[in-house]
Formats: sequence, C-alpha cells, structure tokens
Amino acid sequence: MTLETRRRITDLNVMVAGQGGDGSLTIATLLSRLLGGHGYHMYTARNVASRIKGGHAAALLRGAATPCRCMGDHLDLLVAFDAEAIEMGGPWLSPDGIVVFDSSAGPPPDGILPETARVYSIPFARLAVRDLRRDLFKNSLGFGVVARILSVDDAAAADLLATRFAHLRPEVAAANLRALHAGFSFADEHQLRAGLGPWALDRIEHRDRLLIAGNEAIALGFLVAGGRFFAGYPITPASEILTWLERRLPEFGGVAVQAEDELSAINMALGAALTGTRAMTATSGPGISLMQEGVSHAGSAEIPIVVVDCQRSGPSTGMPTKPEQSDLNMLVHGGNGDFPRIVLAPGDPSDCFDLAVAATNLAQRIQGPVYLVVDQAVAQDATTVPPFDLDGVTIDDGAVIAHVDGEYRRYAITDDGVSPWALPGTPHGMSLVTGNERNEWGHVSTDAINRAAMVDKRMRKIDVVRGDLPTGRPFGEPDAAIGIVGIGMERGPMLEAVDRLAAAGMPISGLQPRTLWPVPEETLRFVRAKERVYVVEHNAEGQLAHLIASVGAPHGRLRPVLRYDGAPFRPAELATRIREMEREAV
Amino acid sequence: MTTTYRPADPIWCAGCGHFGVQAAIARGLQALELAPHDVIVLAGIGCSGTIQNNLGTYGYHALHGRVLPTAAGVRLANPDLTVIAAGGDGDGYAIGVGHLVHALNRDLPFLYVVMNNGIYGLTKGQDSPTKPHDGRPPLDAVDLALSIPATGFIARGFARWSDQLNRLIEQALRYTGDRRGFAFVEVLSPCVTYNDTYAEWEASLHDVDADPNHDPTDRPAAHARSAVLRSRGSSPVGLIYHDQDRSATPAVEQSAPAAEERRTAYRTLRDRYAV
Repeated sequence: MTLETRRRITDLNVMVAGQGGDGSLTIATLLSRLLGGHGYHMYTARNVASRIKGGHAAALLRGAATPCRCMGDHLDLLVAFDAEAIEMGGPWLSPDGIVVFDSSAGPPPDGILPETARVYSIPFARLAVRDLRRDLFKNSLGFGVVARILSVDDAAAADLLATRFAHLRPEVAAANLRALHAGFSFADEHQLRAGLGPWALDRIEHRDRLLIAGNEAIALGFLVAGGRFFAGYPITPASEILTWLERRLPEFGGVAVQAEDELSAINMALGAALTGTRAMTATSGPGISLMQEGVSHAGSAEIPIVVVDCQRSGPSTGMPTKPEQSDLNMLVHGGNGDFPRIVLAPGDPSDCFDLAVAATNLAQRIQGPVYLVVDQAVAQDATTVPPFDLDGVTIDDGAVIAHVDGEYRRYAITDDGVSPWALPGTPHGMSLVTGNERNEWGHVSTDAINRAAMVDKRMRKIDVVRGDLPTGRPFGEPDAAIGIVGIGMERGPMLEAVDRLAAAGMPISGLQPRTLWPVPEETLRFVRAKERVYVVEHNAEGQLAHLIASVGAPHGRLRPVLRYDGAPFRPAELATRIREMEREAV
Repeated sequence: MTTTYRPADPIWCAGCGHFGVQAAIARGLQALELAPHDVIVLAGIGCSGTIQNNLGTYGYHALHGRVLPTAAGVRLANPDLTVIAAGGDGDGYAIGVGHLVHALNRDLPFLYVVMNNGIYGLTKGQDSPTKPHDGRPPLDAVDLALSIPATGFIARGFARWSDQLNRLIEQALRYTGDRRGFAFVEVLSPCVTYNDTYAEWEASLHDVDADPNHDPTDRPAAHARSAVLRSRGSSPVGLIYHDQDRSATPAVEQSAPAAEERRTAYRTLRDRYAV
C-alpha cells in the first residue's frame, strides 16, 4: 500500500460482533482508546439481544473528525467472529469496507458482503486455542490485524494492549501480548505491513472531552445538583443510574436504595423528599406505569421529585434493550387528576447533565414532579462531549424556610402558588402533608371554594419557572421554510441529515425541544414560522406531533416521520425519508 | 406567638379501637419527652389513616398501601426524626403487604403500628385479609413477622387492654429510638360499626405477658406458640418477640464532605470520563 492510495480516516464506523461472552467488546474498547488518543470524536453503542448472557452481541463504534451523535450510514470495518455477525453487519458494510472474519468454522457466508469489500479471513479462535490454549485470546489476535489495517505502529498497539490489561495477572497480560504479535504475523501473511495499512488515522486537534453515556451524565448531574437520595428498582435501560448512585451517593453523605418494586421506589423517594433531601428515581416505561400514583401524589401533596424515564420499546414488556419514544403521552397526561408537572428531554450526555441539574432545582422550586425523559440510545450509548461545567451549577431550594415566625400553614395560598416550606424538624413548622384535597393547614377539606382555590394555586406554580425552563437547541438554516423537530436520540441523525439535505439544495431549519411539558411558546413559534415541519419520532402514533398540535400548532403543518422497529435512524435513512415526503408534499 | 395547624378531633365512631391506639402513641411520645417537631407520623389510607391529624406532630398521609416505603425514605434521609408509620389491615396486609415483607426484612429503625379490625371501615365494611372467610383462617401478620429473622421487635396489643398497649408502644418507641431496628406492633382494634369483635376477641386472646412459659427472647418458641394458639382459635397478645441481645446503634455523624472537598470530588468523578 503506497502512501498515496491510503485512505486517511475522517469518519470510521466499526462493528465488532460475535456471540455474547465472546469478549467482542474488548476490540471495541481498544479501538475507542486508539481513536480517542488520536483526538477523534466518538459515538459508541451496543446492540444486544434482550437476554441475560449469550445471544448475538455487537459493539458499535464511530470515530469522526467532527462531533457525532449517532452511527454513520455505513460500516467501514466489520470485525466478525462468526457467520451471524456477517449476516448482521454485512448489509450495512460500505462497498469499500473491510471485513476481518474469524474463519475457524468455515468461510464467510456467500452473497451478503459487497463484492468490492476486502475480506481478511483468519481462523482466530482456532489459532488462539492451538497456540495460546484459550479462545478468548482471539480478541488480541484480531486487534493485531485491525491495528495493521489502520497503519498503527506495532509498538503503539502493544502499549495500548498493555494498558488495557494492566489490571490482569502478569501471565495473562503477557499471553495477550503474544496473541497480539501472532495477529501481526497473520497480518504479514496478508501483506498488511506495519505502519503501511490501507487506512491511516489522522491526528485530530484535541480538546478536553468526556466519553460518557446519558445515564452516567444524569446520575452525575443529580449528584452535583445536590441530589442525595435515590431509590430505584432494576430495569433495562435505566439500571446504570441505580448502580452509579449506589456507589457514589454514600461518599457524599447520601443514600441510594434498591427498592422491592417501583411503587416502593417512588414512595421512598417521596419520603426522603419530604425531609428536604433532593430525591430522584429512575426507571423505564413499565416502571413509569407503576409510578403513576406516586407522580400524581407528588403533584397533589406538593413534594419535589425527579423521575427519570429511560424509554424502551413498548407496550408492556416490549423490547427491553431497544429504544423508543412512546411514553410521552403517559408522562404528559398520566396520573389521576390535574396537577402541574414538567417534562424535560435531553438529547445527548451534555443535555443529560444540564437537564438533570435543572430538573433537580425545578422540582424544588415547584414542589412537585419533574420528569427527565430519554430513550435507550441516549441513556446507554456513550459519546464524546465537552467537559461538564461544574462551576456553573447553582442550587435553588425554592421556598424552603429555616425558621417559622408567626403562623405557619403548609399549603398557604400565595400569589405564585408556591407555599413556604418548613421541613420536619423545624420548631413550630408542624404540618399535615396529604394527597387528599386539604385546606391551607393541611386538614382534609371538600369545601368547593377551597377546592377550586387549591387547584388554581397548584397550577400557578408552573408560571414561577416558565421563564427558566430549558430552551430547545436550534440547528440548520434558521430561515428555511421547512422545519424538522425531534427529541432524544433523533438529535444525531437530524443534525447530519439536515446538513446533507442543505448541501443537496434543500435548506431545513431544525429544533430539538428540551422542554416537552409545558409545551414552550418557542416550539409553537417555530412550527408557526414554517410551511411544513417534519416531526421525527420513535413511536407509531406520532406522540410528539400530537403534543405540539394539542397546544395549537396549525392543523396539517406537522408531518410525523415515524419509526418503531427498535433501530435508530441512520442519517441517510432520515434524509431519504424527508426527501421523499417533501417530494410528495410539493 | 407562633401557631400551626390545630390537631383534629378523631373522625372515628364512638367506641372505635383506634382511640386507644392514639392514646398509646401520645403517651409514648410524652414518656420519651419527644418534641412534636422532631416526630413525624405517617399513615396510610383508611379510618386509621387519619391518626396523624390528631397528634400535633409533623403528619403525612401516604398513598394507599405505601406508608412503609415512604416512612423508610424519611428515616433514611433524616435519621434525627422519630418516625412512626401507622395504618390499617387493608392498607398494610392487602394492598401494601409486599412492602410489609420488605420493611420487616430491611429492618430500618422506625415503628409500624397496624390497627387491625378485619374489615375496610372507611369504604363501609368490606372484608379484609384478616377476616375469617368461608372457614379459611385469617392472615396473621405476626406469624409473618416472626418468619422474617431481621426484625427484632414484634408485639400485638388489644385496644381494650390499654395498660399493656401503652407499655408495648413505649417499649417499641424506645427500641426504634435506640436505633435497634424495625418495630412491628399490631393492635387488634375492633370496628364497632362493621365488625364489632370486642367480646369475641377478648375471650379468645392469650396474654403472653402474663404467661410464665412465654420467653419473648426465644423466637422459634414464640413462633411455635403462635401457631399452636392459632390452631385453637386463639392469638397471642403482648410482647411476642424482643431481640434483647441487639445493641443500640450510636447515631451516625453526617459524613457529608465540606464544600471545597465536594467540588474536588465532583471534578474527580467527572474527569474519570476524560478522553
């Protein structure tokens, strides 16, 4: 391979796939360190079957010279440990893609890979077992070949491996290093010479970045915002928040509890919140269903709480490991009775951190429930983002009072609806907190005048914070006649699709709303200024479009772009859908 | 002059067992010299779920069946508060029984008082799980509690036997106040309107406090005794099990780091993700 014909990598999409427990994630991790070391922006995802162990598993990795929030259109590199991996990744392979295939069980299946793709068939597993006595070493073998493809210096690849396996017993680390060198030998046999592969990595200008998943960013944001109590029940794809906070909260004098179910989780959080401790719970759709009574209660009894919904495919048990955005109706309209609530929707880890902070403060200020809604992709996929601004975090306790002078009424009707709040333990601040309708003192009341006044008082609280609700993130061509709107995981594909459509002569103006409820004026204004607005969402009913329409978006202006097969959009797919819909519209 | 809500007059029918329970809790709080602002009484839904309105402490009216997780959250978040959870048999043994099992097993130091009257009084007399039905014996939560080794204080009172009831509640409050663990006190508290069982229960109860053969520190014996009594249509009342070996836990000093230390710790956590 001459230097001239070498491709310099500006956007590399990789899938490493095999049977679960194959260690296929190891190569992805090594690659991610390699690309990170070169300054690439990254996006990483896992594609797993909804089961405990085994089943087909794939690690997806994208490294790009510019920020990326989703996987690209095609795979450039497919590392396939079995035929199923070819079947899974093959159709997605770029015509000039490269396949590294473990041929221990035979050649790759016919008719799937593009004819122009380059395939390196090497019996990794057989060789690993023969020479190194363990199947698992095939990953280090494979990485040797991958490093040669990317023209990575042999010594640099060895360093990377040594760092990765530093925590292992020396003999295991040494065996992995031998495996890597065996990988180099196979590469030599296939004319992949050291530092002279078909592709070469660039050095991208590097600034400090974090590689973090949404769930981790939410947990960190809650902690930094003074969150000190978390209760949750294990559920995919929200469990990382529970495990993260179980590990970290005690270091800060906080408590994280694994409850016996979601009913308990939300009520524990309400109990903690009652003492003034900032409290959160996190779950997915099935858990949100169970928590509806708790959210309604928080709205009635006026207790601050943050509830995270990491949405997965529904209804019912659905597809636990697959993303969807089909809980929006439940979040906005669920729970019995009328009560004020806020629904925030982060679109990437930066949003997750910022909106977790915002949600924690907003809950205190309205003394009520705030939802933070993401989807499986935002929750679990990791991407590179600028370091979170810790110094910009402020803590607002709203109407909490440290002393009581004179008369104290927990549910005092105030101009803004927010009642001064004396926490249990405050002398003279004794109160009756209840989900029954009550008078200002907290005594149960069914008096008609009091009832109406109390409903109004609670609803007024939203106005206190309306001006501080997170604004949407605009993108694309602001003055374009065509608009696009989407939340959560749609952010990445929308950004790229809009760029491409603009390049092809179709300017589009985009908005990623970050407050869903109350629907901000900004969202409505955006829709009103456009001829057509494509609403991109992962559900079958167009729940986001209905939500925007419900507050007065002009009839017929919203065009839902729906998907509910459990797979995220790739930018080209989205661009094509919009181009086709636009052709029909004109 | 500072004022807050005025404790309510009970909504219960004259003769309701719950009066005795309220009196016992009030006396217990007085005996321990607890200031009302350091006490929170949480109650479920039902006739019993109004007791928190009558005591002058901080009060909380939980969702139906959820008083135990809520009380657990309060206790975990603020260990300085004296936490009393209260409710009825419908609240605790039907809709909330899943939480009861885990509260017994989690063993957090707070008191749970169940006013058991065998029926749903507030909704006008439907059967609860503690009402015998077609010859099927009622659910026995004391037996259930005895089967879960984590809980070290299990008692049953009878609303009419006020001296004993007062003693049991005070003992339970001292037990939780010393941070020994979860205290479970069931009170047989008849409903004079829908299930007046005063006479029937009084005739059938066996006072274990007066029984020289009952050793409240012997859990297996207490469990066996309860089973034998039940097979004869009777129930043990009194201090059924008390783990006296369990030592008081000293109050934990809040170990939250100071502001500067906290900022450094946040930064360290964030920078773990640096690439």
